[in-house]
Amino acid sequence: MEPPNLYPVKLYVYDLSKGLARRLSPIMLGKQLEGIWHTSIVVHKDEFFFGSGGISSCPPGGTLLGPPDSVVDVGSTEVTEEIFLEYLSSLGESLFRGEAYNLFEHNCNTFSNEVAQFLTGRKIPSYITDLPSEVLSTPFGQALRPLLDSIQIQPPGGGTVGRPNGQS
Amino acid sequence: MPHVISQTPKMSQSGHPSGLPADRNTSLSVTRVIVKTPGSQKDFMIADDTSVRKFKEKLSAHFQCQMDQLVLVFMGRLLKDHDTLSQRGIMDGHTIHLVIKSKHGSRSLAHSSWNLPTNEPCHRDRNTKGNSSEVHQPAGVDQASVESAHFVGSDAPKVHTQNLELGSPEHIAQVLENPSIQQLLSNTELIQQFISEHPDVQQLMQQNPEVFHLLDNSEILSQTLELAKNLAMIQEIMQIQQPAQNLEHPLNPQPYLGLETMPGGNNTLSQSCADFNDQMLNSMQDPFESNPFIALLAGQVLDQFKSSSPSPSPSQERQDQLPQLPTTRVIYTSSRGLSSITSANGTSNRVNHTSGANTATISTKGQNHICALHQPAVIPALPSIELTQQLQYEDKDATISLSSSEQRLEDDFQLSDEQNNSQITGGMMQLLMNNPYLAAQMMLFVNMPQLSEQWRQELPISLQQIQLSDLLIAL
Repeated sequence: MEPPNLYPVKLYVYDLSKGLARRLSPIMLGKQLEGIWHTSIVVHKDEFFFGSGGISSCPPGGTLLGPPDSVVDVGSTEVTEEIFLEYLSSLGESLFRGEAYNLFEHNCNTFSNEVAQFLTGRKIPSYITDLPSEVLSTPFGQALRPLLDSIQIQPPGGGTVGRPNGQS
Repeated sequence: MPHVISQTPKMSQSGHPSGLPADRNTSLSVTRVIVKTPGSQKDFMIADDTSVRKFKEKLSAHFQCQMDQLVLVFMGRLLKDHDTLSQRGIMDGHTIHLVIKSKHGSRSLAHSSWNLPTNEPCHRDRNTKGNSSEVHQPAGVDQASVESAHFVGSDAPKVHTQNLELGSPEHIAQVLENPSIQQLLSNTELIQQFISEHPDVQQLMQQNPEVFHLLDNSEILSQTLELAKNLAMIQEIMQIQQPAQNLEHPLNPQPYLGLETMPGGNNTLSQSCADFNDQMLNSMQDPFESNPFIALLAGQVLDQFKSSSPSPSPSQERQDQLPQLPTTRVIYTSSRGLSSITSANGTSNRVNHTSGANTATISTKGQNHICALHQPAVIPALPSIELTQQLQYEDKDATISLSSSEQRLEDDFQLSDEQNNSQITGGMMQLLMNNPYLAAQMMLFVNMPQLSEQWRQELPISLQQIQLSDLLIAL
């Protein structure tokens, strides 16, 4: 029996604040944050991420954010590109619609975590998924919560992933 | 996690209630597995030694689909029919992912399926929402270039008419995302041809001979085209929605941009600023809508920035400067290499605005900011946000009382060096800015005097600290 193909799965991590969070968080929040993390999953030579425009994809490092600040190796998967795109289409219609985006509860990192678990069974590092609660546990975060809640992040440079016309 | 393929006997560690002997190869324990589909999950109780095939039968009955539509994934491994669940190490409480394939053959990303068969339908296809699912990636550059050449050659007029019909920004944004279009745009000669052949542009050029002269400058064109490529990004970055007033003569910012990016173009820059001010005055009430590209470039985005003053009450001169500023900033923010200049000039322009002396200051600041090129381009949000603040500041009737608060913030900003200022606040403001309801939300912020007071006090201190470090880094 031939061995199955294994495709590497990577997590691209971007700091949206470009280092400012690390410098200013002690002043503003009272605690040290290393960055404001935006993540995406890279598999099958494409980068997939979730934003206010729904699930998007682009060539790796192809958003306006440029190359990632760090890359985490999530593992490898047997899931083929075909199956993966089906999966993403279903996700995009159900759980990860654009309007479902919420900066704290249901953001790009939620998506990356979900996809990473699907592809490899592993979760993404906790410092990324813990970020919202870290911010909300500060008085500053609480005070700005109404404002921050309505922020929608959508890194430009990607195209929407969805079912093509005609398919059920 | 261990990937178990071997036939190791599954002990009763799955925690089932019955106490079956542990030395049997296959236990008859029932395990509870979670089957997760996109959007839902369900628990299933199955026997440990169930084969994947049997499990699929069960699932197909439950999900009402055919067995060959089911794809089971566990720990990143596809489950084959002949395996058993225990073989794959699936134990109690584990999650198996399920994908139900659609009945038709699924499509793959457009790596390999890049096609530009006939330009019209393709154009339209790309502009309709359904096909936005395609990722625009050419299979090969050669193919794309051949096609784009074909595209250009026979269908140049079609492009124009189509774009006029489908002139809304989203369509154009999608069009611009298309790499073949981008390649097209890279060819400055072609673009020059396009632009000069377009009747509206010709009209414009008659009105403004300077524009014509600037259009000829290939350098400017290439810069502008780079911008146009990133147009979609401009729009996405700028999500502030404010009522529109298209006061601008949109083509003017293009040459402004071009001049500015030319190294050593400071003098011409100041000169052109003076010229543009005149042009602004002349063309203030003259909207320029016809060319959708231009409209897209300046008008739509500008619209988002213009304050909703019922009548342009503020002084003409000031408003001249302001319309100029938003477009420049807007355009700049899309181009990373230029964005540092953007912010620099944006902030310098802001200062100019308050001081009133436009051209002189720009030239001096311009020199300072050429060296800001190497600094990371974190600017995008900042210029636009400063811009909105300014515009709101202008509008006396603004329901946006945040103007005063923003003014305060601006005062703080002006405390330190402009460059560092923009760099620092850019990131902060970026967090806060992509928000259509920014004005209303910031009022909330304003109404928390303690917070803002604290911030005001801390900001200058931290800014100075950071300023020093940045200066060191710059050196």
